[in-house]
Amino acid sequence: MKRLAAVAALLGLAAVTACSGNTGDKSAAGGTGGGGGLYTTIDGNKPGLDVNGPFNPWSPKGNAFAGYNVMKLAWTKNHLTDPNQFYPGIAASWEIAPDNSSITLHLQPNNKWSDGKPVTAEDVKFSIALAYTQGSTAFAITPGAAGAASEVEVVDDKTVKITQDMKNPSVTFVRGVMDSAVVPKHVWESVLPADFWDKLKAARGEGADADKAREEITALAEKVLAFAPPKDVSAGPYTLERMNPGEALLVKNKNFYNAANVGPDQVKLLNYTGNEQIWNYLIAGKLDSAPFTAVPTDVMKRISATPGNGVVKGFSPVALGLAFNQSKKPYDNVHVRRGLAYLINRDEITKIASPEGGTPAVTTTGIHQKPAADWLGDELGKLEPYKLDVAKAEEEFKEAGLKKEGGKWTLPDGKPWKFTINVPAPFSDWVSGAKAITSQLNAAGIDAEVLSVADYPIYLEELAAGKYDVGFWLIALGPAPYNIFQRLYGPSNGWSILGGKVKHAEAGKSGNWMGGPETIEVDGEKINPGELTAQLNTVSGDEQKAIVGKLAKAANQDLPVVQLWDYVNTQFVNTNRFTGFPENESDLLRQPAGVWIQLGMVKKKQ
Amino acid sequence: MTAQTITAAGGAAGGAGPGTGRAALRRNFWRGVWRVLRRKPSRMLGAVIVAGFALMGVFGPMFYPDHLPRDTAALYAPPSWEHPFGTDFEGTDVLALLITGSRYVLLTALVTAVITVVLGAAIGLFAGFRRGRWDTVLMRITDMKLTIPGLPLLLVLSTVWKFTSALEMGLVLGLLGWGGVARAVRSQTLSLRERGFIEAARGLGLSTTHIIGRELLPSMAPFIAMNMLISVTGAVYAQVGLFFLGVLPFDANNWGVMLNLAVFGGGAMSSPAALPYLMAPLLAILLLTLGIVLVVDAMDEIFNPRLREE
Repeated sequence: MKRLAAVAALLGLAAVTACSGNTGDKSAAGGTGGGGGLYTTIDGNKPGLDVNGPFNPWSPKGNAFAGYNVMKLAWTKNHLTDPNQFYPGIAASWEIAPDNSSITLHLQPNNKWSDGKPVTAEDVKFSIALAYTQGSTAFAITPGAAGAASEVEVVDDKTVKITQDMKNPSVTFVRGVMDSAVVPKHVWESVLPADFWDKLKAARGEGADADKAREEITALAEKVLAFAPPKDVSAGPYTLERMNPGEALLVKNKNFYNAANVGPDQVKLLNYTGNEQIWNYLIAGKLDSAPFTAVPTDVMKRISATPGNGVVKGFSPVALGLAFNQSKKPYDNVHVRRGLAYLINRDEITKIASPEGGTPAVTTTGIHQKPAADWLGDELGKLEPYKLDVAKAEEEFKEAGLKKEGGKWTLPDGKPWKFTINVPAPFSDWVSGAKAITSQLNAAGIDAEVLSVADYPIYLEELAAGKYDVGFWLIALGPAPYNIFQRLYGPSNGWSILGGKVKHAEAGKSGNWMGGPETIEVDGEKINPGELTAQLNTVSGDEQKAIVGKLAKAANQDLPVVQLWDYVNTQFVNTNRFTGFPENESDLLRQPAGVWIQLGMVKKKQ
Repeated sequence: MTAQTITAAGGAAGGAGPGTGRAALRRNFWRGVWRVLRRKPSRMLGAVIVAGFALMGVFGPMFYPDHLPRDTAALYAPPSWEHPFGTDFEGTDVLALLITGSRYVLLTALVTAVITVVLGAAIGLFAGFRRGRWDTVLMRITDMKLTIPGLPLLLVLSTVWKFTSALEMGLVLGLLGWGGVARAVRSQTLSLRERGFIEAARGLGLSTTHIIGRELLPSMAPFIAMNMLISVTGAVYAQVGLFFLGVLPFDANNWGVMLNLAVFGGGAMSSPAALPYLMAPLLAILLLTLGIVLVVDAMDEIFNPRLREE
């Protein structure tokens, strides 16, 4: 009885706290319609909050949460086919030169930092200088890097023009620029030397002076990463108020340009270290929204059963492929790869491994099936679908010279064939997917096993070092077509762009672990897929479409990877406290919730 | 510890008794074991559990094909007569996974226990009996070994070593675990070597090998045997833990991997579907620990006459 009383008392206390919280919210909401309230979510990019992390967007452990207290120039929409679409951020509007050679940014006219100082073009230029030290895509000091800026010009207090180095242009240049975080110059000024831009100019040249300048800039990288501003000065909708290991509390930045339309007064970002923690938050109805999280079917049912919880699904330009190291036998033989493709039942694999977060790949094109329909049109249906077909697989294996003895496939020389798939252990969907593949292959007489490694960075390192025969590999990372196909015919398969020229490295060298041949035959025509991929950077329109078509066909016939499933961006929202969440298929699902909030969409439920 | 114990434990104290006498003692010993087991049913249960696990590890996997059958229409199926612990993420019977996985777990545990005990006892006996310089050197090595934290070292080792065979895993766990046993055996030896019967043996001019092997070791056999059983549980926890953390290579029917996939892949902590998949290896570990604890209890009485309630 006593215990019951204590529980009742505790519950009463909780109710009082909740009530007082609500009153506080109402008074804080003031006059703005749909304002107020505490929005609880997690930051998908920050597993494990670090109380001592600096307010530094470049620091991996930084307490800088994109969309909340960190602003980018603009937010990339990741449109199916057009990489140059954005939501406004620090920049209110922009003009892109037709040939992608420059972009002129017009900053938000009334935007101020949370300490009251205006956000100016100088802040943007200074932030770009900081980005150079970190070597981002558009701001690279490597000579000849594709899509790098050559000049940053402050036109006036609110206008900046950034010009691309047209010696080696890239269609992703604009995206690279827009993806830059902007920090206050008056807080960060001490980090860079006064003559930074002169050094940068020198670094972009050639010779010993240039090398020295590059070294100096690279040396600044550590200083930038380690810099910890004394307090959070934000141009975003929120500033970090306080945090503990369990959560970070952000409060509204009254100086934010769109503060009047920012709904929640406060945002609480909860700490998490693994998916199961997020599942439990969702089941408890604690989160107002949660970014993509892999969820098993039964947990999904529990989450959906919580009052107010809803699932929103959209497109995510990511697919999973089973990639081969073609410098290892028998994977150098295309018939072996095709035979394997016929034996893998992708529907079953997806059902087992990623029932809620993926759809089985329709075939291997290297492109996620949604944009594939846009890029390829009718051609998509003409590609070989590699449906489960044991007879065809046997034909392909026989063509490759493999032998079947006692129900087991062996290599042409009669030696046993051991098929080992490597996966990183923390990715539970990959582990179960790989296990399911080995089960299917074992049933077909291939001696298959799964080998896991402790974590993803080690996995990528060992993969790049050519230690694996077969491994899982993320592909189709659009929207820019170059980005899509460089996963198949880029640096990991030997092709890199240096000084505007495409170079092919031998298998096992310069990060070439896929080890495919330099030219392949597609429909009787010899093509160099790496060169075609590099061309995607410079061409546009129909020409680009034609190359994408050719490369998709190449991927389909050559099978450097077997495309297994295309990810579905499955997110969660809870409408008990807030409304105005993005709908299914909205491109906003590819933005953090902070962007929905800063654009004025999320409102407190009345 | 008294001379009586030594007689009971080791056969013949003092060594060269007539063969028939030794056989009689051995018979008496086993009779004693049976009596002790019978006195408390729990001990009998313990012995049955431990024997059951041993049989499962040796013969269990023989009843299943190399690649376990799966039913993709029944992923995470609930427990039924057909699948007493349900099925896993790809529809494989969890009981079959448990049984086929027991061999690796138990073999590792056995290898670990043997290495821990043999190495620990040998070093402890030698250091304690010899004293002096040998003792100092060996005990400093032991101290150093004891200061190395086991789990972090295993985590680091697992990045370079894949531990694909149970023997390798057992070897590493054994090499990491002998420190405690060595220290305890040494202190026991130090105390025993001053006793009258050892003095007498020395006075008789018996060899060191004889004194250590025939006089000291039997007195400590019960202690060592108990340590061996306890290190079996330690080894099971350690390796299952490593697999659970995902630092060791995937092996579908390893108990630790089952726990890992149930929690992180199946959401066993968040929803009931994968709960049987989680519970099966947990229950197995619990049962094995229980069995060992009960057997240790019985051993205590077998070897320690003061506990005997004749």
